Amino acid sequence: MADARTTQPVLTAREAGWCGCRECGRLNLPDAAVCTLCGMRLQKDPNLQAVWAWLAAGVVAYIPANLYPMLRTSTLGRQQDSTIVAGAIELAEMGSWGVAAIVLIASVLIPVSKFLVIAYLAVTVQRGWPVRGHLRYRLYEVVEFVGRWSMIDVFVVAILSALVRFNMAATIAPGVAAFSFALSVIFTMLAAQNFDPRLLWMTRGPKTA
Amino acid sequence: MQTTPPKPSFWRNLSPVWLVPILAVVISLGIAWRSYNDRGTLIEIIFQNAGGVVARETAVRLRDVPIGVVEEVRFSGDLSHVVVAARIAKGVAANIPENAQFWIVRPEVSARGISGLSTVLSGVYVETAFTPATGSDVRSFNGLEAAPLLMPGREGRRITLRAADGNRLTPGAPVLYRGIQVGHIEAPRLIDGAEGVWVDAFVEAPYDMRLTTAARFWDTSGFSVSFGTSGLRLGVGNLASILTGGIAFDSVSSSGEPLGEGAVFELYTDEGTARSSVLTGVDANALRLTVEFDQSVQGLTSGSDVRYRGLVVGQVSGVSARVVEDEGQVKVRMQAAIALNPEAMGLEPGSGPEALKDFLATQVRSGLRARLAPARLIGSALVIELVDLPETPPAELREIPDGLPILPTVYANLPDFSATAQGLLERVNRLPIEGVMEQAISLMSAAEQLVSQESTRAIPETARALLEEGRKLLSNEKIQQLPGEAVSVLTDIRAILTSFTEQEGTERLIAALQSVEDAATGLTEVTAEVPPVLTDLRGVLEKVRQLKAEELVEAATSLVKGADQFVRSEDTQALSPALSGALQEVEAVLSELRAGGTVENVNGTLSSARDAADAVALAAKDLPALAGRLDRLVGQAEALVSAYGARSPVNDELLSALREARATARVFSQLARAIERNPNSLLFGR
Repeated sequence: MADARTTQPVLTAREAGWCGCRECGRLNLPDAAVCTLCGMRLQKDPNLQAVWAWLAAGVVAYIPANLYPMLRTSTLGRQQDSTIVAGAIELAEMGSWGVAAIVLIASVLIPVSKFLVIAYLAVTVQRGWPVRGHLRYRLYEVVEFVGRWSMIDVFVVAILSALVRFNMAATIAPGVAAFSFALSVIFTMLAAQNFDPRLLWMTRGPKTA
Repeated sequence: MQTTPPKPSFWRNLSPVWLVPILAVVISLGIAWRSYNDRGTLIEIIFQNAGGVVARETAVRLRDVPIGVVEEVRFSGDLSHVVVAARIAKGVAANIPENAQFWIVRPEVSARGISGLSTVLSGVYVETAFTPATGSDVRSFNGLEAAPLLMPGREGRRITLRAADGNRLTPGAPVLYRGIQVGHIEAPRLIDGAEGVWVDAFVEAPYDMRLTTAARFWDTSGFSVSFGTSGLRLGVGNLASILTGGIAFDSVSSSGEPLGEGAVFELYTDEGTARSSVLTGVDANALRLTVEFDQSVQGLTSGSDVRYRGLVVGQVSGVSARVVEDEGQVKVRMQAAIALNPEAMGLEPGSGPEALKDFLATQVRSGLRARLAPARLIGSALVIELVDLPETPPAELREIPDGLPILPTVYANLPDFSATAQGLLERVNRLPIEGVMEQAISLMSAAEQLVSQESTRAIPETARALLEEGRKLLSNEKIQQLPGEAVSVLTDIRAILTSFTEQEGTERLIAALQSVEDAATGLTEVTAEVPPVLTDLRGVLEKVRQLKAEELVEAATSLVKGADQFVRSEDTQALSPALSGALQEVEAVLSELRAGGTVENVNGTLSSARDAADAVALAAKDLPALAGRLDRLVGQAEALVSAYGARSPVNDELLSALREARATARVFSQLARAIERNPNSLLFGR
């Protein structure tokens, strides 16, 4: 790939109207609407609508996730609702900096950066901003990889509420936020998945050509 | 070279995935709107102290169901109160009336038990209670310091009790009906201007049905020990009422009528007093008044009567002193709280205190006054008397705000009864009662000994047997054929018996004894001791006639001693067996008579019997004379006594001696009556 940059401009398959299948990788003729091998619908135009849609849904779901209580803890008849941020602050106040940091990273930093990264990638693709090296692709890979870890919060809630059920003494129940947070994570993952990384290279084509 | 296909329209190009965020937005907005819409109404509750209330955590509960959460705890503008702002569920907030009660539930350990234990772990909460009212828009309330004793919306009846003091009346203490808690009391408060305290009590439905005008309340707190004719009585209430105090009530009569509004009852110190109060008649409708006196009220106590024209119309419920300022002078006035019964004053049954007050107000204007009066002829106890004195200066029934109305009084001139009573007691004390009593006792015991002797008791039996024999003899055919002589004998006997019956008291005894003595020859020897006594008596009589008091006393004493000796002497004691023996002899004669069957024999026997009967008649004739003399002696002695004056020891001695003689005679007369009773009925066949 490194020497690809130094080579002479060549006619790419895309420029020739050929289209590769995202599913099986088969190169289809320009007039084919469906992959001849796997029957998948071919995506010829850079379509980012789905990405934007999922991303929007993710952001929308992320708002109640932060406003509503994540955990509903009843300890000896005393009920306490805690939102994500409030829980993290409480943990920090109790001195558990490590746990507080993990919670903050997993449920605030990662989702928010995911939104930003996906939005950035989508914008660059749409506007056809020039690519600077492999930065954007790396960003995409990180987002793809890290996205599932956001679910850690949801898992914690699920496990806690399953384990801590001592009726009077202590009970933990998931709040509304847990549900919407899970939805938010799922939506962003779908957004990332719907993002065709080839588009990153596509934009580069016309500029270099 | 490559033709780009015509760009599809924006809408056609739109991906269906957009539905997802739209849906998410719609749902989020829906949730947001709903939570805003469902957001409760903010109310403010003002507390003196909001210990344990935490913003956004402390719940507000109605009947233990959360209806809201405290949102903010802050101070009032001048830092004097704590304002607790709470969000109350919309539907509930609209029904909270202005008089809703709010209080903070905290764990509480008291003698009545432990309450609010759950708050130890869960933290305090704000409890509310109210009678729902629709469309209320009150948003600010005053919180209570403690849970109200009376929960709004509880069915029941509220009554007021008047007690002497609030010593054992703890707020919340139980009201018991036959040992079951049916309510509780509230904090006692002082009655302004009079003795005692008011205490409100609440009796829950359906127990309030038990409350009638016949209900009486008493204090059950602690132990009660009473000592009376029925012995020692120890009353112990239930444990809670021992610790916190408590009151009980019961209907003391079946004639109770339903209560009106604002019923007032008297709280008695114990059950006995409460039950006996029916008689004194302070009832629920009683009008309470204050009476002020300028004079000493010694002898006037709580429970003293209030009389109106001699009739008990009420009771004094307390006496106290009160400093009043009268025309620039500071005076101490004695004050008595009284309760008047409207019915006793002659108002219609069921009349309330107000009716009586109006009545009294008009009466006072026309001269009705209260006055102290002695309760009894002797003794210092006082009562309050309501009297009509039209000539007195005009006065009014004075109404005092928040206190009892004051009934005007007049000064009463009370004699010093205690001095008189003391003098009387001293005189009684000087009487030689003990000596007289001792002598009487010794005489009585001697007499009792004689009477209780078996042989004495056997006399009636023997007499009866004798008479039985006689009856058999009379029913004998041969006897019936006897000439008129027999009949005359029998008539004689009957006459004797009639005279026997006619005699009364002491005479009868002596007559009986004398007759029997004369009839039976054997008896005469034994009773030789009797005549000396009689001679003694005669001697006494002689001496009395000569009015020689000293000798008379001596003689009387010796007579008594002689009588005593006579009674005690073995001969007298042996008299009874001798009497029985004589009777048996007669019996033997009669049976012989019956067995023999010869007319001559019968005739002889009858004539001798007639002689005997004649002798008996003679003796019987003599005896009343003797008795008469004895009576005269007594009469003369009494005259002598009166001549000597009321308080001479001689007289006392003499009187006691004579009384002893009479007592002895009475014992004998009883004996005679016993002898007489059965023969009579047998002889006359009925």
